[in-house]
Amino acid sequence: MIRYARLLRLFFRTELQYELEYRLNLILEILQTVVVTATSVGAVLVLFSYTTVLNGWDLGAMLVLLGCFYLVQGFGELVLQPSFEKFMEHVRLGTLDFALLKPASAQFLVTLRHFQVVALAQMALGAIVVAVGLGRIPSVGAFEAIGFPIALVCGFALIYALLLALSTFAFWFVRVDNLMALYWSFMDAGRFPVDVYPGWLRVTLSSAVPIGVAVTVPAQMIAGRLDAIGLGFLVVGSATAFYLASRFWRLGLRSYTGASA
Amino acid sequence: MTEVVVDVRELRKTFQVTEREEGLAATLRSFVRRHRKDVNAVAGITFRIDAGEVVGFLGPNGAGKTTTLKMLSGLLHPSAGEASVLGYVPWRRENAYLQRMTLLMGNRTQLVWDIPAADSLRVLQEIYRIPEAEFQGTVKELTELLELEELVHKPVRNLSLGERMKVEFAAGLIHSPRVAFLDEPTIGLDVSMQVRIRRFVAEYNRRTGATILLTSHYMDDVVALCKRVIVIHRGRLLYDGPLADLAERMAPYKVITATLHDGAAASTDLDAYGTVVSREEGRVTLRVDRQVAPERTARLVNDLRERLADISVEDPPIEEVIDRVFTSEQTTVSA
Repeated sequence: MIRYARLLRLFFRTELQYELEYRLNLILEILQTVVVTATSVGAVLVLFSYTTVLNGWDLGAMLVLLGCFYLVQGFGELVLQPSFEKFMEHVRLGTLDFALLKPASAQFLVTLRHFQVVALAQMALGAIVVAVGLGRIPSVGAFEAIGFPIALVCGFALIYALLLALSTFAFWFVRVDNLMALYWSFMDAGRFPVDVYPGWLRVTLSSAVPIGVAVTVPAQMIAGRLDAIGLGFLVVGSATAFYLASRFWRLGLRSYTGASA
Repeated sequence: MTEVVVDVRELRKTFQVTEREEGLAATLRSFVRRHRKDVNAVAGITFRIDAGEVVGFLGPNGAGKTTTLKMLSGLLHPSAGEASVLGYVPWRRENAYLQRMTLLMGNRTQLVWDIPAADSLRVLQEIYRIPEAEFQGTVKELTELLELEELVHKPVRNLSLGERMKVEFAAGLIHSPRVAFLDEPTIGLDVSMQVRIRRFVAEYNRRTGATILLTSHYMDDVVALCKRVIVIHRGRLLYDGPLADLAERMAPYKVITATLHDGAAASTDLDAYGTVVSREEGRVTLRVDRQVAPERTARLVNDLRERLADISVEDPPIEEVIDRVFTSEQTTVSA
């Protein structure tokens, strides 16, 4: 475990160095993140100038949710998006072989290998928006405060599991970029609480694209709208998803090593 | 006593490929019902390699070289047969085995394009858990042998193909493997870079005693590096033995080159001595059966006397021998 943490730090550091070399690009990207976040916070504020509650979500809870969305999306862009894109490239070029020849977990080496450091800015902004939203919520209890990071990590795990499962299809079909692009566009829907959507879309967002769960549940947690049982479900559910996705990935890997020439 | 490092017995790999004819109708038919065909990429090969040997693995495209290397490095499961490398079964991919071997592919890179190789080497240090002092020592040695100084600090995308290959070698050997599988390590490189890579491989083998199995399309690589060659064709082993004996066993003839003084080469009838392969200026090249070569040479010298300026008797060039092996269907010859 310590070794993997050290590796993760090393992966992060090398990519950080790389991105720091392109200073102007980095500054522009951070600016863009700020503008995008400010716009969607603005949209929420405009919305709440007409109403005080949206399907049970008041402005404070809504801001927390938006912050969670940026945290989860930022996590996706920080490590998952760049790593999974490279993973599919490796399958196409046959360079995945090198990861399989290393005395370490191939899944780790492939899926958490690349970082897009600028996404940290988005996560930071997300944290700020959560904090601002919390300022409008009367009180946050100990249970909520402890449960929130747990729910957030579960959200990350859910997103990771889904992407892992989707990208596994690359072992058989090689080109699955479109599938991944579809996923990222679904992701956008997560910036509103999943229960404002009509039934069919809610089911899609929460089950097929667990973004609904990954974003909404942590927000519900800190806004005091989730109990211990709900949190328990989330923990068990995301652990199961992570386990199953990893199994599926290894199955795909077996067919890769069984067939490539 | 020498230790057997690579032990391969009756190794086989059969791939299933989908076959279809050309045309839309055939494509649609095959979409519904696929015709599968078994292709024997490796059809039962057996060999052993001792510690410290550098062995050339030869064969035309599609002979099964890369498939064999992939099985030996654990990337592919064989369909049948056994193999043990350093006492490990490769395809179990135990960390202890992966820690001691390397696979280098001339046409694929394991380095990250956007960052300097030095950073990739650091990552590899952590993956292989190489202690700092040992890491520094290896980097120093590889830097010296491969003349890397500047190269490791430039982003990999800025390196030339040859420079990249040198850095690739450093990355592949950073954990001081006991066995190295080199798949076409000099492919696409210019002649002087090929020579430098060859010199490096030879020196590396001498210094570390690592066992090396190398495939290459360039016979020069093999001649420079390997005392022993294993030749496979259509998944079968054709020859396993000293490179020096390959010509003798596989090409049953010698090449006599006679240079004549008076430019009479074009008119002099030499068919009686052997098969005339070429005639140019004053030079005639004859192909003569191995057994009768000494006698024919003596007769030639005797008959031509003072018209003869120079004469040589040689084995055919190694490329020609190999080509002969691959174009003719021969049975297995083991030394």
